Amino acid sequence: MSEFAVVWQHRDLILHGFENTLIIVALSAAGSLVLGALLTIPLMSRNAVLRGAATAYVDTMRCVPFLLFVYLLYFGLPSLGLRFDNWTAGIIALLIYNSAYMGELLRASWADLPKEQIEAGHAFGFSGWRLFRRIILPPVLFSALPLIGNQLIQIVKDSAFLTIIAVAELTHEATSLQTTYFVPFASFVAAVFLYWLTCVTIEGTIGYANRYAEERR
Amino acid sequence: MTFHDYLSIAHGALATVSISLVSIALGVPLGLGLALIRWSRLPILNPLAAAYVSVIRTCPSVTLALLIFFALPEIGVSLDPVPAGILTLTLSTAAFNTEIWRGALMNFPREQYEAALSFGMRRGVRFRRIVLPQIVHSSLPALVNEMTLLIKSSPAVAVLGIVEITRAAIRVGARTYEPLPPFVFALVLYSLIVFLFVKTQRIVERRYAQAEALA
Amino acid sequence: MLNVATAPLQQPAVAADERPVVLEVAGLSKSFGANVVLRDISLQVRKGETVCLLGPSGSGKSTLLRCMNWLEEPDGGAVLLGGQRVGVRPGSNLRMSDRDLAAMRTRVGMVFQHFALWPHMTVLQNIMEAPVHVLKRNKAEVRREAEALLQRVGLADKMDSFPARLSGGQKQRVGIARSLAMKPDVILFDEPTSSLDPELVGEVLNVMQDLAREGMTMVVVTHEMSFARDVANRVVFMDGGYIVESGVPEEFFGAPKSDRARQFLARYARG
Repeated sequence: MSEFAVVWQHRDLILHGFENTLIIVALSAAGSLVLGALLTIPLMSRNAVLRGAATAYVDTMRCVPFLLFVYLLYFGLPSLGLRFDNWTAGIIALLIYNSAYMGELLRASWADLPKEQIEAGHAFGFSGWRLFRRIILPPVLFSALPLIGNQLIQIVKDSAFLTIIAVAELTHEATSLQTTYFVPFASFVAAVFLYWLTCVTIEGTIGYANRYAEERR
Repeated sequence: MTFHDYLSIAHGALATVSISLVSIALGVPLGLGLALIRWSRLPILNPLAAAYVSVIRTCPSVTLALLIFFALPEIGVSLDPVPAGILTLTLSTAAFNTEIWRGALMNFPREQYEAALSFGMRRGVRFRRIVLPQIVHSSLPALVNEMTLLIKSSPAVAVLGIVEITRAAIRVGARTYEPLPPFVFALVLYSLIVFLFVKTQRIVERRYAQAEALA
Repeated sequence: MLNVATAPLQQPAVAADERPVVLEVAGLSKSFGANVVLRDISLQVRKGETVCLLGPSGSGKSTLLRCMNWLEEPDGGAVLLGGQRVGVRPGSNLRMSDRDLAAMRTRVGMVFQHFALWPHMTVLQNIMEAPVHVLKRNKAEVRREAEALLQRVGLADKMDSFPARLSGGQKQRVGIARSLAMKPDVILFDEPTSSLDPELVGEVLNVMQDLAREGMTMVVVTHEMSFARDVANRVVFMDGGYIVESGVPEEFFGAPKSDRARQFLARYARG
């Protein structure tokens, strides 16, 4: 189809959007994984107030539709004096939203760890941050790997919502291309293909990493 | 914000939920059909179904909505925004449902199937009375979970210009020059709706877990 | 089967009662909800002793062991390690800080029923982990000691393997080496062979017997009567949360003083 020829001719637009999507996903994924890991501490805390607050945050993010959340951060917050540019608002939204999900899945993984190996940590004199970082966190990450992979795919898909606030990611650039050159089919098919490729790569990498992780579970 | 403003946002929420419910009603059986195609390994259709599931599961709702609305007219299928939105959500949820149904079919105890065969049951009866009730039972928690996720992601169809909750909130904000209150109201209202679904889901899960424990 | 060596256990240079008390438990009580598990337990463990805690399930022996390193917090009474109170700040009744408790625990080794090796580390890393990261010792030095310990328990070739690849008996021997690496004042063994297939029990008991013979102070909760009879210096029999009987193995196994001990031994006649 000649449509695809047109898209190929202007492929740098699509690729530019794809590149931005990858940057957004990388930043949000890394950030939400780190924040989620830290979030497990209050989620598993014996302190009921701390645990309650963290759980409330997680439960809220599970009920909040991401699109409305993005809108709120970008269009609504300026009334309170908080003005973000669209990239910042988008990434902050992704971070706040996905840290909750990462935190919850890592917490579930922590709760499933055999109690004895954590007890052994206590018995050998580990406590506090050292216990968390060296004894608890690595097994949690290894056993949660498949779920982390799923969440990464979710982040890729959520990144597309940022088109609504005019962030120049893949979907936005594909829309731009199709309105300029009247090639909607080829344009969006190209975008869908690139999303598919990204997610399949993530799945493959996680599958590969899983083999490494299984020995260490 | 006037009472009318609240009402229009609530009306928008209703529109979004209605679209979601229609998509759920269509997507659950569609997922079952595709799962059966995959399970019985029909030639040509099986790899097509597999490709469909793989592509749509990794496709953002927004992009899919735009593809359906803007690209389908090229092959002659010109849809209004609302049907396009329903189609988007249906195709999306059906892809996830396919995997859920497929899991239930693959975990179906072989012996029960063989028992049905040995009693001379023919395929239609076998499926309707033995297989289907049980896979419905074992799939239900996951299906309800997917329904909740669909409700949550359905504001994506706002990109098609449908007047639903997102658009309603934008309109109110544009009129009053105070975007924060309508967005907060929309967010809270819709989150409550999702919360109700999540609560229902928990009840369903608990009841099914109890049934499993007793079984 | 347990290989009982021909050489007798070393006679202590110091008379038994004059050796220092390494671990002491005084008036310990503990309940889980309405269930009273320990009632006024008092016990002293002297340096070089191997004390075996025996008793039927639910007698409180595991709970007592776990109170010794404060993995369980008793409701009443005291635990003393080398004269210092464990779990409680000196001169008060306030709970010790986590950091101080952790520091005390480095002096008490523990071997767990289900091995409790850290799955994300190799065998060698498991042994080196606490000495390097808790005691802050020199890594090269710890590594040499760890390799020597692995040699000693017969697992030098498994140094770089992950726990997932080891048998139960191998895992437990690593667990013992891991405790030894900390050079503790006493090692607590919580049913060390209960999770093992019968043919793997012997290899672990042999290592424990060697340790006892070398003078390590050990408190062992076990169902292995042959070990208690042949290796322990003292046997403590518990039932229903009380210490019912305590004495040298010859007395306990040969001429038990209480009915409950007799009943218990009858059930374990084959040992």
